[in-house]
Amino acid sequence: MIQSLVHSLRVYLAEAWLSYHGRFAITSPFGYIASKLGFPFFLMLFFIFMGKFVGYTNPLYIVIGNVLLIPAANGLGGVTLAIRDERQWGTLSYVLGSPAPRMPIFLGRAFYYILDGFVTALLGLAIAAGIFHLDLSQVNFLLLMVCIFLVAVTSSGLGFLFGSISLVSRDGWMITTTFISALYILVGVNFPIESLPVVLQKVAYGLPLTRGILAARLALDGAGWNAISRLVAGEVLVGAIYILAGYLCFRLIEKRSMASGTLDAI
Amino acid sequence: MDPSAIVASSLNKTFNTKTGLWKTKTKSTIAVEDISFNIERGELFGLLGPNGAGKTTTVKMLTTLLLPTGGTAKILGLDVVRQTAEVRRHIGFAFSGSRGLYNRLTAIQNLKYFAELYALDPAITRKRIPELLELVGLSQRGDDRVETYSSGMVQRLHLARALLHDPEVLFLDEPTVGIDPVGARELRQTIKNLISLGKTILLTTHYMAEAEELCHRIAIINKGRIVALDSPDALKRRISGDSVIEATIQTAQAHILMDRLRILDGKTVVELKNSTEPEKLCIRTPEPARVLELLSPYLNPQYIQGLEVRNQTLEDVYITIIQGEKE
Amino acid sequence: MSRLRWGLIKRQMVVQLQVATLNLYSLGLFVIQPAVFIAVGMLLSHAAGNAMPDLVYSVVGGGIMGMWSGLVFSSTYDIAGDRYNGMLELIVGSPTSLATVEAIRTLTNVLSGLFSLSLAFITSLAIFGYSLHGVNFWGAGISLLLLLFAMWCMGVFLANFIAWSRISTWFVDYLEMPIAFLCGFMYPIRVLPGWLQILSGAIPIRWALQAMNESLLGNRDLTFLATHWAIAIGISLIFLAITRWLQVKVHDSIRLSGELSSI
Repeated sequence: MIQSLVHSLRVYLAEAWLSYHGRFAITSPFGYIASKLGFPFFLMLFFIFMGKFVGYTNPLYIVIGNVLLIPAANGLGGVTLAIRDERQWGTLSYVLGSPAPRMPIFLGRAFYYILDGFVTALLGLAIAAGIFHLDLSQVNFLLLMVCIFLVAVTSSGLGFLFGSISLVSRDGWMITTTFISALYILVGVNFPIESLPVVLQKVAYGLPLTRGILAARLALDGAGWNAISRLVAGEVLVGAIYILAGYLCFRLIEKRSMASGTLDAI
Repeated sequence: MDPSAIVASSLNKTFNTKTGLWKTKTKSTIAVEDISFNIERGELFGLLGPNGAGKTTTVKMLTTLLLPTGGTAKILGLDVVRQTAEVRRHIGFAFSGSRGLYNRLTAIQNLKYFAELYALDPAITRKRIPELLELVGLSQRGDDRVETYSSGMVQRLHLARALLHDPEVLFLDEPTVGIDPVGARELRQTIKNLISLGKTILLTTHYMAEAEELCHRIAIINKGRIVALDSPDALKRRISGDSVIEATIQTAQAHILMDRLRILDGKTVVELKNSTEPEKLCIRTPEPARVLELLSPYLNPQYIQGLEVRNQTLEDVYITIIQGEKE
Repeated sequence: MSRLRWGLIKRQMVVQLQVATLNLYSLGLFVIQPAVFIAVGMLLSHAAGNAMPDLVYSVVGGGIMGMWSGLVFSSTYDIAGDRYNGMLELIVGSPTSLATVEAIRTLTNVLSGLFSLSLAFITSLAIFGYSLHGVNFWGAGISLLLLLFAMWCMGVFLANFIAWSRISTWFVDYLEMPIAFLCGFMYPIRVLPGWLQILSGAIPIRWALQAMNESLLGNRDLTFLATHWAIAIGISLIFLAITRWLQVKVHDSIRLSGELSSI
């Protein structure tokens, strides 16, 4: 039992290191951070000026929403890429052919992206606070950090789901990036969910992130645990469902490909 | 007219890579060091060497894809650094592996694309493509997407692509890697035909029999340097006219046989290949008759299960040279 | 290009469409992506209490966003993909220069982006009832041509960096938003702070786009339009000159570093 746990932990750490090294080694830390923050930062500015033009009076709403989108996009996109890369680099057969337990392999992969998204979001928040003179005196930092971390974890569930799709479809990454851009509308990043048509509001609450982002906004206003506990619990529940669904989807695809002998092809 | 098709003079290539957390340190790797050779027009020249020896780097410098960090190289009298565009018009090259083609396109579509890159006249393209597909045995599959091709077919299509503009000089980097024996033989025949048409070919390969069968001259390259350069026969003569005796032996009796052969002088080299099962005793000797005489009392299954006497092959020469380098 | 090679242009465009453009990815790039931006623009406008969004900026602007995203991503992935599958060194090793190939490819990508713009334009006409009444057609037409030219110049400029090294691919990807943000793809340039307006003046797309948007809004002031066109052409030509200089450097640099075939 202990031996098996130690083995799982070792696989987990090895996979986390591999993910980190694979993405990080190509450039220096400065280049890495610049590339990570560049896109979300300018996307945020773009939305702010779009808002300014149409008379939207609350630019800070956009700032916070987009900062919270960083860990979400990271968890979702990163995990999808980690799985897709196995296919593209032709190493999937070796990973799946090994006796290593599956869960730690992919949780290990996800861990790096979750941590990376978490740190990048904090950095993004600090930069945004400096540029836009955000008043952070009320902020409940501990709860805010919990919310950011939570958003990164729950979005990785979607990453498993999209990663599995990218194993069977050449266009999996396109579907993922399209979905990430749909998050600009759906989960309350740029404007409140209530601005959406009713159908889309229902979709929004069926997705991870929506409640996490709402909870983070409350924590930014200084709300305590009691005020956000229901939202956090809801986020955990929805996130867990997506992580489980992603994992089951992956196992299903693995089993099917092994039965049909198409492991190399996927 | 310059009789040499390819002239490499003191070619050097060093790669610099940034390392360290902040990418501030520079690490230099010498890939090719002071390589010189001449290849005559119409010659098939082989470049042999272990992985990472610098073969592909040399080929890439000669095909204008890499800039040398020292030395010069000329193709048909044209400098590969200063007259790049001219050189490219006169050379064709094909690298091993499945990369280098658009998989979503058919063979014909790929060839038409390269015909435009090489600025071929449309009338010539129309004539050349069927001819080349015929030459490489892909006439029936020309309209199929490349993603449906086997690795051997892809390799042959690479050769067709390299020949599209009828280049005078051809660079083939491990052209038979991943091809089945029948396909490889056909490809070797195609290469021979190209030589009979007057092409100059520089071939890199890991297959010694292939190099021995095809090449007029061979350069053996190791750790970025040329360590031997001659015709296959001359190279074989280089390690004397020795014969090779390979005996399949019972493992337990190896030391008895080794002891027995110890009385031979230093010109005979006895090597125990214990990586094989059953073990093999490899004896390189100028006196095969004497060795056989010494071994004759042991020619029974208890000691020796099989015996083969042969002349030195290029592989023996290659291994001797490369191992000599290691020592 | 010493002479115009129509055969190469045609073949390269066909190959580009077959290999890179006609796939599901383009649907995301040229249709869904701009649709998302249009939706954000309209919903922001709705959240701000407007009954009707600004059709030129929020809807047609979404099409411009699609054109630009399509150009940046296609150009990035064309070269990165070629490097990955070994085509880059075969192209560089041919007598046709990589610069020529990139020029044709970028043109194909820019023209493919017109699909996005047309779709956005049709949407604004058919769904939102945008009226063509008062539109300065000749001004919009000339501005659109110059916008395509400016985008093409920026495309070939950025392509250099992607060819130069794998790492730069990351940064070129991330230039998509800064340029969209600085050039005011979905809002008039005047909403930017003054110093950002000056900064955006260095990008030719900004001038052509401003002229096009103004024409769509009915501006017929020839001095205003001609000035914008002249600046767009002038800066585009400066970018082209820098591109030509860079192309020689990049050609040498990638052959020195061995980045041609790195994967």
